[in-house]
Amino acid sequence: MKRFDYFLPQSLEEALELKKKIPNSRFIAGGTDLMVQIRGGELKPSALISLRSIPDLSSIEINGSIRIGAMTTVTDLIYNPDLEHQAKLLVDAARRVGSPQIRNVATVGGNLCNCSPCADLALSLLVLEAKARIQSLSGTQDVPLQKFFESPGKSCLSPDQILTDIFIEPVSSNTKSVFLKKGRVKMDLAVASVALLLEMEGEICRKARVAAGSVAPVPLRLQKVEVLLEGQALSPELADLAQRMASESVAPISDIRGTEEYRRQIVGVYVKRGLAQILGWGLV
Amino acid sequence: MKKEILFSLNGIEVSVFVLGHERLIDVLRKHLSLTGTKEGCGQGECGACTVIVDGRAVNSCLYPALEISGKSVLTIEGLQGPEHRLSVLQQAFVDCGAIQCGYCTPGMILSVKALLDSNPKPTEEEIREALQGNLCRCTGYVQIITAVKQAARHLLELS
Ligand SMILES: Cc1cc2nc3c(=O)[nH]c(=O)nc-3n(C[C@H](O)[C@H](O)[C@H](O)COP(=O)(O)OP(=O)(O)OC[C@H]3O[C@@H](n4cnc5c(N)ncnc54)[C@H](O)[C@@H]3O)c2cc1C
Ligand code: FES
Ligand code: FES
Repeated sequence: MKRFDYFLPQSLEEALELKKKIPNSRFIAGGTDLMVQIRGGELKPSALISLRSIPDLSSIEINGSIRIGAMTTVTDLIYNPDLEHQAKLLVDAARRVGSPQIRNVATVGGNLCNCSPCADLALSLLVLEAKARIQSLSGTQDVPLQKFFESPGKSCLSPDQILTDIFIEPVSSNTKSVFLKKGRVKMDLAVASVALLLEMEGEICRKARVAAGSVAPVPLRLQKVEVLLEGQALSPELADLAQRMASESVAPISDIRGTEEYRRQIVGVYVKRGLAQILGWGLV
Repeated sequence: MKKEILFSLNGIEVSVFVLGHERLIDVLRKHLSLTGTKEGCGQGECGACTVIVDGRAVNSCLYPALEISGKSVLTIEGLQGPEHRLSVLQQAFVDCGAIQCGYCTPGMILSVKALLDSNPKPTEEEIREALQGNLCRCTGYVQIITAVKQAARHLLELS
């Protein structure tokens, strides 16, 4: 492995100062993406600046809205006693990340900042319309997650910024959600995945949020499908239409995990299956 | 430049001087000659390098050495009892034929240890889930699952 220096700053300011001072340095959170990329020679940083010793970055606070520190591990999302009720979709997605060993160190911030089109937490947080709080030496700013992902591996963060927190608003009681992920085996990155959230009023869908993973350069909201569903009584015929629209509105590639055609197919089927699961129509 | 890390390893306080790019598995195998922990893929996929840090199973091949300061690490060497007797968990793996080449075994056992410490009566589903990140090329997993069930039973009888 190529050599690099390793720093453990004790505050955000110290981390940001170090980043400014050391050319070609990177922030490291749990390292489950970064250490693999360095080992594979994709990245050759001169130094890693660890965010693990910075206080307050790894706490979850639920107080009306939900604040999740960027350094919260995937395991801590799963075991938080309140999150399951307040943001079930995020917990469902967290359960599908990697293996126990990966979940024990992988962080929510790393999942977002790595900007992989298959990132499971990114998908659920998109659907939950999360906001990202970003800090630099010159101040703080909040960015809706939909503006966060720019291209594979590239977020809207500039090199001198740290993602510190994620904010979500709790969902209303008539909201239901599902997270569906297709991997080759249980522990695998998604071949394709779908996160779906519906707010229902009787038969009528008041609000629909749909996102798909591994089918575009970034985790993708399927807004056409959302518009199709909102304000409508949800029927199996409408679900068929949503299936077709989902397949058509994504732009997947073929790679070792699956072909373009297969990914389109899965996303369509998962949108329909998600609707069926939420509405209790039995298996599709 | 080397920096000093102080941590608890299998219950004993140790100090090691490491470089920035070294990983926990390098500390264990190279610096401390504890070769029970294996390196398979080096990228978080196979689980051969699994150890327990502060109660949780982690891949030591992805864990930066400098992060280990102040933490408590358990490796396969820390499991055996007095006079090098095998622990209940290790004995169950031997008795059930859950070991063939043995390369995956230390990692498997540490993943199971983390499971049973937090959940002494796991269902088969929970056992399979806990072992998602541990690959075995030899056994076909069936004997491993049997061994975990037997170990859980024996540990409950003892407690
Ligand atoms: C075997 C294996 C299986 C996996 N399975 C899955 C899976 O099923 N689903 C899935 O979604 N992912 C999976 N992953 C990918 C990875 O575990 C996740 O993306 C994880 O959440 C990354 O978090 P981390 O803390 O390890 O990030 P790191 O590797 O530490 O960082 C990732 C990137 O984000 C940057 N970064 C991290 N935190 C911040 C911050 N707060 N501010 C600014 N920049 C930051 C880093 O500089 C780096 O570029 C898997 C990885 C492995 C090795
Ligand atoms: S060697 Fe660490 S997971 Fe394979
Ligand atoms: S016994 Fe050979 S890899 Fe598991």
